[in-house]
Amino acid sequence: MTASASPVCPDLTVQLGRLSIPNPIMVASGTFGYANEMQEFVPLHRLGGIVPKTITVAPRVGNRPWRTIETAAGLLNSIGLDNDGIEQFVLDKLPFLRSCGAPVVVSIAGGTVAEFVLLAEQLDKESGIAALELNISCPNVSHGVDFATDPELCRQVVEGVRHATQLPVIAKLTPNVTDITSIAQAAADGGADAVTLINTCQGMAVDWRKQRTLLGNGIGGLSGPAIKPIALRCVHQVHVRVGIPIIGVGGIMTTDDCMEFFVAGASAVQIGTASFAEPIITTRILDELPAAVNSLGASELQQIVGTLVIGDSAKTSNK
Amino acid sequence: MPMSTPSNLCKPAYQQAEIIAHEQIAEATWRIRVDCPYLATTTRPGQFAMVRLTSRNDPLLARPLAIYDVFPQHQAPEHWQPTPLGSDTASGNPHFVDFVYAVAGKFTTTLTTLRPGDSVSLWGPLGNGFGTPPTNHLVLIAGGIGQTALLMLGREFLATVPSSQVTFCWGARHAGLFGHAEDFQSCGMNTHFATLDGSKGHHGTVIDLLNDMEKNHVFKRAAIACCGPEGMMAAVANWTAERSLNCQVSLETPMACGIGICFSCVAPVLDEKGDWDYRRTCVEGPIFDSRAIQWDAMT
Repeated sequence: MTASASPVCPDLTVQLGRLSIPNPIMVASGTFGYANEMQEFVPLHRLGGIVPKTITVAPRVGNRPWRTIETAAGLLNSIGLDNDGIEQFVLDKLPFLRSCGAPVVVSIAGGTVAEFVLLAEQLDKESGIAALELNISCPNVSHGVDFATDPELCRQVVEGVRHATQLPVIAKLTPNVTDITSIAQAAADGGADAVTLINTCQGMAVDWRKQRTLLGNGIGGLSGPAIKPIALRCVHQVHVRVGIPIIGVGGIMTTDDCMEFFVAGASAVQIGTASFAEPIITTRILDELPAAVNSLGASELQQIVGTLVIGDSAKTSNK
Repeated sequence: MPMSTPSNLCKPAYQQAEIIAHEQIAEATWRIRVDCPYLATTTRPGQFAMVRLTSRNDPLLARPLAIYDVFPQHQAPEHWQPTPLGSDTASGNPHFVDFVYAVAGKFTTTLTTLRPGDSVSLWGPLGNGFGTPPTNHLVLIAGGIGQTALLMLGREFLATVPSSQVTFCWGARHAGLFGHAEDFQSCGMNTHFATLDGSKGHHGTVIDLLNDMEKNHVFKRAAIACCGPEGMMAAVANWTAERSLNCQVSLETPMACGIGICFSCVAPVLDEKGDWDYRRTCVEGPIFDSRAIQWDAMT
C-alpha cells in the first residue's frame, strides 16, 4: 500500500457477516446506557452502531456498591448486569433506540442456552434491531462467563440463538481463557456472523489497611487503556487463525487506537470506558477517522484491516 | 411535609474551561475557579460537574465536584468573596465557576498542580439539585468538605424567600479544616461550628451541636439540607426523622461517568411500597429526601 494521502473521503462501511453498518465506530455495551443518556453529548445518528446495556430475561438488581474502582490507567467494574429485564427494555428503552438513526445491536445475557434462545425469540419480533450481541463473557455474574470459556458451550449457545432469530448474531468473548482462538472458532462453527473481542479482564483492587477488597463484589472486570495490549493480541490471533469478522474493543481512547485495531484485524471497533472519561469521544474519532485511513493510502477502510506485519521493522519503517 | 422538586434544570454540556485562580484555603482543601459561562449561567443549587484532567490516562476518569459558587466576570479573578446578595445568576451574568475540593487521592493531588492558564475538561450541570425547602427557616448541616454543596442553596434561599433565615452548622475533625467559612457568614447565615477536638466551636460532633442548639427551640418548623460523610448523614437523617423535620441529603457515591451510563454510583432508594432498589445517584440524585434512603444498605 502506498503512503500517498487520498483527498477523497474513504469508504467507511463495514460488513460483519450479514450485518452492514455505515462506519466502524460503535459504542460498547454497558458504557453508553440506553443511548438516551448520551443524546446531549453525541450526535447518535453518526454512530456505526449502538450496543445498549445488556438485558436479561428477568430484572436484576445488580451487585452491591462499590461497583467501580479506578486503577492505573483502567477501570475495574462489577455492576452485575443491573437491568429491568427484557419486557421493560422493549417498552421503555427500545423506542428511543429505534429513533436514534444508528444500527441498534441488542446485547443479551442468559444463565442457560434456553434463556438466550428466549431472549432472541422475543427480540426477533421487534422492529428496529440490527443484530444481537451475545454477552457470554460478563465476569460479574455467577456462571455468566462459562459459555465463553468452553468451546462446546459457546458453539451451542450461538447455534441455539441462530436458530431462534433471523437477526445477525455476534458473540462477545472473554480474554480470560488460555486460547481465545478456540472459542472464536466455536462461535464461527455455531454460525456467528462476527465476534466482539474483548470483554473485560478479571481483576481485583485491594485496600490493605482495611484488609478488604474495594469492589463490593470482590472481583470485577478491568477495562480502559490498561487492557488495550491484551485486546490487540486477541484480535490479531483470531484474525489470523479463525478469519471471522471481528469487532475490536478494549481501551480505545483515540483515533490512533482505532487504527491499531483495524490493522490488527478488526473490521469495526467499540468505544467503551472512554465514553465515561470523555463523553464526546466518539464524535471526535468520527471526525478524525477519514484522514487517518487516507494517511495509509486506502480508499476503503476494509483495505487496511489485518494488514499488520509481525516484527518486520524494516518494512514498517518504510511506511 | 411536601417538597417541590426542581423542574427548571438545564441540559449538560461538555466544555474545556480555563483555570482563573487556584489556591489552598485550608488543610488539604483547595479552591479552584474556572471560566465556564455555560455552567455559570445554568447551574442550580445542589448540582455538580464532572471535572477531568484533559487527555490523561492516569488518572483516567473525571471526578464529580459540587458546584460551590458562580461569579460575574467583572469581579477580579483573585477575589474569592462570594457574589453579593441581589446579584443573582439572572442579572449578574456570571462567567466563573468555583469548586472547593478535599485532596484525597491521585486525581485531587494531581489537580492541585494545575495553575491559572491551564485548563480542565468538564461537563455539567449534572444531577437534580435541591428542591425548594418548604419553610422560611433553612438549616444547612455540613460535615467535612460537605459545605461545598450548600453555599448556593443557602444564599439563594436568603435572596428569594421572604423573611427567610438560614442557619449553617459545620462539623469537622478540627479547626484547620474550615476553609472560607466567611462565604457563609458574610451573606447573613447564622453560622455554628463543631469540632471533634474542640479546637473551634462546639466540642463534639454535629449531632452534639444540634442537640445543644435544640435547647433554644431553633429547629421548630425548620427544613434541613445536609451534606457530609455517609455516617454523619445517616445520623442527621435519623435525628431529623425523630423530629419529623424535612431533610434533604446530598449523596456522594463513587461515579465513573456522572451522566447515567455506567450504573456505578447506585444508592439503595425506597419506593412507595417500602422496598428498595439501587438508583443512580448521578441522575436520580445526588439530592434525596433523607427518608427515601435505606441507610443500613449503603456501603
